[in-house]
Amino acid sequence: MPIVLTRIDNRLIHGQILESWLPYVHANCLVVANDDIAGSPLKRMMMEASVPSRIKVVIDAVPDVVAMFARGEFENFRVLLLFASTSDSLGALRFGLNFERLNLGNLHAGSGKKQYSCTVFLDPEDIENLEALDAAGIDISARCIPADMARHWRRLVPEKKREQ
Amino acid sequence: MSFADLFIGAVVALCCGLDRTAALQVMISRPIVAAPLAAWLLGDVAVGLQLGLMVELLWQARLPVGAVVPPDDTQIAVGATVLTLGMGAVLEQNSLAFTLLCLLIAIPFGKFGQFFDRRARLYHGRKPSLSAKMLENQQYRAMEHLHLRGLLSFGLASLLTYLVIVAGGLVLVPMLASTLLPALEAAGHWLRLLLPLVGIATILGTINVNRSLTLFGASFGMAFLLMWLV
Amino acid sequence: MKKQMPPRVLLHVWLRLLLLQCSWNFKQLQGGGWFYAMAPVLRRLYGQKEMQQIAREHLGYFNTHPYLAPAVVGAAIRLEIERSQGRAPSVTMKDFKEMVAAPYAAVGDALFWGGLRPLSASIALLLAAKGLVVAPLVFLIIFNALPLWFRIYGFLNGYEQGLQSITFLQRHKLPDLAIRTKETAIVLLGGLAAFLVCELFNYQHTPLWSGLLLLPLILGCGYLARRGFSTLLIVFLVSSLTIIGCYFAEDVVVWLP
Repeated sequence: MPIVLTRIDNRLIHGQILESWLPYVHANCLVVANDDIAGSPLKRMMMEASVPSRIKVVIDAVPDVVAMFARGEFENFRVLLLFASTSDSLGALRFGLNFERLNLGNLHAGSGKKQYSCTVFLDPEDIENLEALDAAGIDISARCIPADMARHWRRLVPEKKREQ
Repeated sequence: MSFADLFIGAVVALCCGLDRTAALQVMISRPIVAAPLAAWLLGDVAVGLQLGLMVELLWQARLPVGAVVPPDDTQIAVGATVLTLGMGAVLEQNSLAFTLLCLLIAIPFGKFGQFFDRRARLYHGRKPSLSAKMLENQQYRAMEHLHLRGLLSFGLASLLTYLVIVAGGLVLVPMLASTLLPALEAAGHWLRLLLPLVGIATILGTINVNRSLTLFGASFGMAFLLMWLV
Repeated sequence: MKKQMPPRVLLHVWLRLLLLQCSWNFKQLQGGGWFYAMAPVLRRLYGQKEMQQIAREHLGYFNTHPYLAPAVVGAAIRLEIERSQGRAPSVTMKDFKEMVAAPYAAVGDALFWGGLRPLSASIALLLAAKGLVVAPLVFLIIFNALPLWFRIYGFLNGYEQGLQSITFLQRHKLPDLAIRTKETAIVLLGGLAAFLVCELFNYQHTPLWSGLLLLPLILGCGYLARRGFSTLLIVFLVSSLTIIGCYFAEDVVVWLP
């Protein structure tokens, strides 16, 4: 499996990814699965411009990215896969992408979102999505950068809060 | 340690501490600047340069990217300097071994820096909703002041870290001096070399460059050869 | 006709950008600082009536590298000027902030924190090891030259060119410049390490070649750091081993004939 890290990060490609995670997991290809950025040439250009030229960058809509994985286009790469939201990652799973682990990086605050750790803010829909991913056997943990400890998401979101 | 030493240290701790996140970022917060500055004001720059050399690289690999709060090496540098010079005057110590003792005691207290810094940032978490309310009332000046008041909490976090390090040192340095000083006497020069090397190693281990080991090995070998032969 | 901002206001905004991160928090990061920096411009361009609506767009999440924030704010000022003249903006303020912040942050982190900081530190530490008092000043000068240029030029360039200024990263190939800076830093760190080793071994009259044995030690510590061991742990491991080792070595010397 060429995927070395799957991560949810609102900011997608930024310093934490390029400076901390990329060298830590030895990835040489960044895949961003995001409909919004894939659809806007300007945003796409900006995002591509921030990555050094020796790293391959692929930015595409979620179903297209899954299709590329299915065609085996990334066989020879070590891929760091980025989603912007829990619903995108659940979408990728439903489209048939295989991944075993999911890293929760930065999930922004927003209306209706509750703070679960310094950088993880979730609303009930997010929790439902994570529940579905968890049920599919994916190991979900929160870890902002490699120097932090990984914390399993069940420890951030205790049972009783999920029932509310 | 005299009150004046403590006070001078606190001023440096505050100014350099604010530079870390809240204001300016002209890097007076780096140990190589903060420690000599404090040491200069306390009357012995050489000690500050030693401490700067040993602390500067240790946490450089922890980049302040996004929401990451790295360990507070500024306060470790300032705290260790104040301990070395302030307590050194009282205990009549000015050796490298004593400097190292103060530094090794200050280092674990740096954890408090991370803690206080994070508390300040969490405390600021109430600002967005407050300023949204002010916007509804068209109090734009109040919003700007709300932002500026963050200087207080960041400043307080720096000062508290500094005080915890100094207080910890005041208790531990006299306690451990008799046992550890002879040992550090022998190991002093080695540690002065090894601490910067550990810093270099952590940078090498985490930097995002292909072939970093080749580059490092080549330049280390070449420089070594030059100094050996010339 | 291009409408201009008085230089006084621009300077005011630029100075306010030095306090960008005062209210840094986990909900909006530099969001409060963004509004604080933009406030003088908004006040100049809009009357009491429109202000509230406009100001609302300048609240919210924002985070970028502090040295590149002036470039973003500069462009935002141009966008606001265009909007106040009634020209429809091609991107909303929220979209613009979102689109520019993360890529600028990525480049800034790599270039300044990842590359320039160890580079200038390695030169300054060489001087500090020699006991030269100018070491901190040299560090400040070498480090700050480039950030200051980015803070000033980036701001003016953003202000002049508006939305077009975002090609800045591509034009200057900044991500690749960052890599080169980091490579230079590594080479300099190698030199610094060799210098420190030679300095001690000459002082102790130890045969110099044995200094090469420290290379595996450096690589070993690097490996530990890479595996996620904290610096605190490595420092204490190394210091206690050194202290014990030096004790032991003294005993050996005593036992030697």
